[in-house]
Amino acid sequence: MSAAPKFKNNVKISERHGAGEWKLEKLALLALMPLGLWALSTGFTLAGADYGAVVAWFGSTLNAGLLAVTAVVFCLFASLAWKVILEDYVPGPSRSALILVSNLVFLVLAAASVFFIVRLALGSAPLPAGV
Amino acid sequence: MSNTPPAAGETGDRTGRYVRHPNGHVAPMSPFTDIWRWHMTMVASILFRVTIGAASVGAVLLLGWVAIVACGPDAFASLAAFSGSPFGLFIWFGLTWVLFSFLLNGARHLINDAGKGLDLKSANLMAQIAVWGPIVLAVLFWVVLFATGKVSL
Repeated sequence: MSAAPKFKNNVKISERHGAGEWKLEKLALLALMPLGLWALSTGFTLAGADYGAVVAWFGSTLNAGLLAVTAVVFCLFASLAWKVILEDYVPGPSRSALILVSNLVFLVLAAASVFFIVRLALGSAPLPAGV
Repeated sequence: MSNTPPAAGETGDRTGRYVRHPNGHVAPMSPFTDIWRWHMTMVASILFRVTIGAASVGAVLLLGWVAIVACGPDAFASLAAFSGSPFGLFIWFGLTWVLFSFLLNGARHLINDAGKGLDLKSANLMAQIAVWGPIVLAVLFWVVLFATGKVSL
């Protein structure tokens, strides 16, 4: 780091990738605002719904698509948010291991969500398939 | 860790306040929650972290819900029976509370992150809304659900 530190409003500008992660976290949170409102209206629509109504809801490409996007963006936001929380509270070498575990958990969560949503959107046979 | 405080007068240190932690790390001084008077903004800030934790658990529960829907009508019938039970409704109520909290507190966080609303009056007002708003809205949401007959005990 031989370059002279740069300042904006008397605050030092990140020399490496910190600002990028921060921006990505904020963009994900911003995207989750309308998606969260949509999730609320979805909860209202599906409250007390029977199996047929739920399956019909998943049959709409718009619904399934928005739900998959919500799941993936939430997992992106949550992994970045948990990283910040772990960096704040966990000292020492266990920190990076825990961040890795948290990232893996949210990666699996996102992948599993998309898997089930796509199956429902395509009208696949109920799981466990082929039993 | 190379975050040693620069010497006084040197560029790099514009706050001038560093502390040496018991583990030897040198870091910018942060507020001490045990001696500071509790502010609404602190409550809202901590509650947002709690909300993110609760939302992560909620995401796992919702994944379980989608997985059970994908397992067909019989599995869904057992799930619906549990969902309609008092304990099931309690969990769904908690999830709506978390979602409202995520929206209101997240919006507060975004506004403050953009450098807006950082004067005492706005910061306190937004913190009050972010802490109490979700409870009020979640109760209203469920009052409407019961009133419209979508949900019943």
